[in-house]
Amino acid sequence: MNALAILDHSFGETYAKRLGVAPWSGALPGPKVEEWRFTPLRALAKVPFVPAPVDAAIGSIPGNVPTIPGAARLVLVNGAYRKDLSDANLGKGVEISQGKVPAKEGSSLVALNAAYAPASLAVHVSGAAKKIIHIISIGAAASTPAALHPRITVTAENGSAITLVESHVGLPGQAYFSNPVTSITVGEGASVRRYVSVDETNEAFHLATTLVKVSGGGHFEAFHLGLGGALTRQEIRIALTGENAEVRLNGAYALSGHSHHDFTTVMDHQVPHCSSSQVFKGVAGGESRGVYQGRIHVARDAQKTDARQLHKALFLSRGPQIDCKPELEIYADDVQCAHGATTGEIDPNHMFYLAARGIDPDTARRLLIEGFLAESMDDISELAVREQFGAALTAWLARYGTAQP
Amino acid sequence: MVATRETAAAVRDVEQYKYGFVTDIESDKAPKGLSEDIIRFISAKKNEPEWMLEWRLKAYRYWLTLADEEPTWAKLHFPKIDYQASYYYAAPKREKLASLDEVDPKLLETYKKLGIPLLEQQMLAGVAVDAVFDSVSVATTYKKKLEEMGVIFMPISEALQKHPELVKKYLGSVVPYSDNFYATLNCAVFTDGSFVYIPKGLRCPMELSTYFRINEKNTGQFERTLIIADEGSYVSYLEGCTAPQRDENQLHAAVVELIALDDAEIKYSTVQNWYPGDADGKGGIFNFVTKRGACRGKNSKIMWTQVETGSSITWKYPSCILQGDNSVGEFYSVAITNNRQQADTGTKMIHLGKGTRSKIISKGISAGRADNTYRGLVRMGPKADGARNYTQCDSLLIGDKCGAHTVPYIESRNPTATTEHEATTSKISDDQLFYCLQRGMKQEEAVSLIVNGFCKEVLQTLPMEFAVEAQKLVGISLEGSVG
Repeated sequence: MNALAILDHSFGETYAKRLGVAPWSGALPGPKVEEWRFTPLRALAKVPFVPAPVDAAIGSIPGNVPTIPGAARLVLVNGAYRKDLSDANLGKGVEISQGKVPAKEGSSLVALNAAYAPASLAVHVSGAAKKIIHIISIGAAASTPAALHPRITVTAENGSAITLVESHVGLPGQAYFSNPVTSITVGEGASVRRYVSVDETNEAFHLATTLVKVSGGGHFEAFHLGLGGALTRQEIRIALTGENAEVRLNGAYALSGHSHHDFTTVMDHQVPHCSSSQVFKGVAGGESRGVYQGRIHVARDAQKTDARQLHKALFLSRGPQIDCKPELEIYADDVQCAHGATTGEIDPNHMFYLAARGIDPDTARRLLIEGFLAESMDDISELAVREQFGAALTAWLARYGTAQP
Repeated sequence: MVATRETAAAVRDVEQYKYGFVTDIESDKAPKGLSEDIIRFISAKKNEPEWMLEWRLKAYRYWLTLADEEPTWAKLHFPKIDYQASYYYAAPKREKLASLDEVDPKLLETYKKLGIPLLEQQMLAGVAVDAVFDSVSVATTYKKKLEEMGVIFMPISEALQKHPELVKKYLGSVVPYSDNFYATLNCAVFTDGSFVYIPKGLRCPMELSTYFRINEKNTGQFERTLIIADEGSYVSYLEGCTAPQRDENQLHAAVVELIALDDAEIKYSTVQNWYPGDADGKGGIFNFVTKRGACRGKNSKIMWTQVETGSSITWKYPSCILQGDNSVGEFYSVAITNNRQQADTGTKMIHLGKGTRSKIISKGISAGRADNTYRGLVRMGPKADGARNYTQCDSLLIGDKCGAHTVPYIESRNPTATTEHEATTSKISDDQLFYCLQRGMKQEEAVSLIVNGFCKEVLQTLPMEFAVEAQKLVGISLEGSVG
């Protein structure tokens, strides 16, 4: 099954009619599509989604959105930019506009987004941005399951610099499907830092695609946190298109209950003299499933590439499943490429060490899990974000981290 | 420095493809193509029991339903194979032989060129050879001695006559007829192969060995090997291949099944240097092999070692199913691709039992315009408490026109199971090369030496008889890749 049939009112003609646009002619990837082998979409295809109302009333921003001091907030509700909820003052160097969604070919999910996204929120960066820009995407389904297609475009001009924070949350209630697409262009010598946290409700589907292009001498630093959601996939595709580009892509997930989280990354080294590193860490409890699949592609002429990739996962209980597929595809000889992957549980020796020092088992477990996840967060160079994301993980551990296997 | 001199000598020693010659022996062929009649013909020719024919036909009928399911997921590119254009049965003219004297002298000559130790003095080497020439085994040596000890080592067609109960019990129990496209085809049309049974508690005193050789033009080789190590036994089995030079692609789809019962150990070593095609990728063998071992019993062990230097296409994943508690699976592999060769090879370690352990060491070397892929699966089942896996995949690239790829799958469903995987890709260090050149070695010798060092971990797991040959092969395979 290379494609999944969907109900007509989920993304079909009825769906398109409600939005008053031309219908999407694609299909969701089926279980036989290699890139989706660990993340089946059958459950998603069965839900009769309707377009999420773009003018949904929002009382306040959900509490699980981190507070970043001094950041300017841009709020999207069900994919639509909401001026009434957003900060007006974005600081020097940043301008936003609402543009048409580029109907560019991509994966079927990107095409789905292109078909139904209300508009693209375009963030234009020139020079060094003064403020952190915090984009908050809220999913709010009314009485029926709803789908939203946020679209964000970030253009960092040559030599510019910006820090972005992206939070994906939802209002409790009905199931919703968030299908955000973020495309980022890092200009020559520009520096973009992007920190994403996905903390959707327990009923939510979240399939995000990030497309990044890093030009010569550009620097891209990203961290992705995955906490909630019934089914979450964060797909990050990065192309290094200019020499001396540098990418640091890290992530962490913490899963409980029946949640399913998938990190899929593609690091495409197209030119020589670039470097990339990836560190992904995950902990899984309950009956959850954690997936990491990462591909490093080094093109024929991309000599002197330095690419690294690491995924480590920790079981917190007996139920979870962890699937991992780190992939190297290399066509140049003068390169340094490596990957590593491990799975296992907390080392009893470590527990013993802490117990011998009078630390109770629950605290010891939390300490060890926090320490395990910390490696992926150490590279977050924006201190305020590191603290906030760290706090979110600590809160998660307080709730789920103590369950004995 | 002994190794250096040996390797250097080997490189000088061999021009082009050493084993590229064709022996002209009239074959008793079945007509070209594949149908139920051909399968009945093969079965009748082998005087097989009725159940065997039924099994073949069942596989064939299933294979027909797979027409659209020829695997395409591997990183391999080759023209579509016309399965009706091949001969499925070819045997040397004379079949029943009483002694070596009756063996066709031409055949003996061929073996001599291949260096198969078939004659008396080779007893010193401790190798019993079940030589497979095309599809029918014509000579089996040391049979008597092994027989006395209770070891059954014979062509599988003979085993079907003499020990049908054993064959029936185990054939298809590791690789069922419905396993995959190529294995299913093999079930339907396999002509011969080796059968080994090691009785309880016996440590097989000699390395069992077979040489496969594709000879008859247009004959696909469909070998079937079945090895059973009963409780507490041990066997080491060697498989080596050479093939004559040909312009047409030759198809090979073998199936190997290993079964290790309680406390048994099977060591299976392969050196594969079939014709890889010429520098432009013309000719060469298509090698689609299904090899799988089942560690059925407690504390059993299966160890695969392979040195893959030949074939234009290699599709091969020797695997272990670790069912018995505390069973062990090991996979050591060197895959060398040069010119236009393509290899997609690796292993599967399926951990089902408690305390099972597996180790994967894979070394891929890619030169010329070749592509070399490691593809492996490590799966920890929910009941595999305390299971462990360690995987190391290293790739070496020689030249900027080749590719090296690593595609590991790690699936764990048990918190107490530990998996570790690491992989690196790099080229031959300029410093090492400079060091060798500065001491008066030629570039090719230096590369051969360095690559041998890179593969050492795997090569040293080979039995002595193979280790030397393998070391030479490493050098030979990389000829023309530098400078």
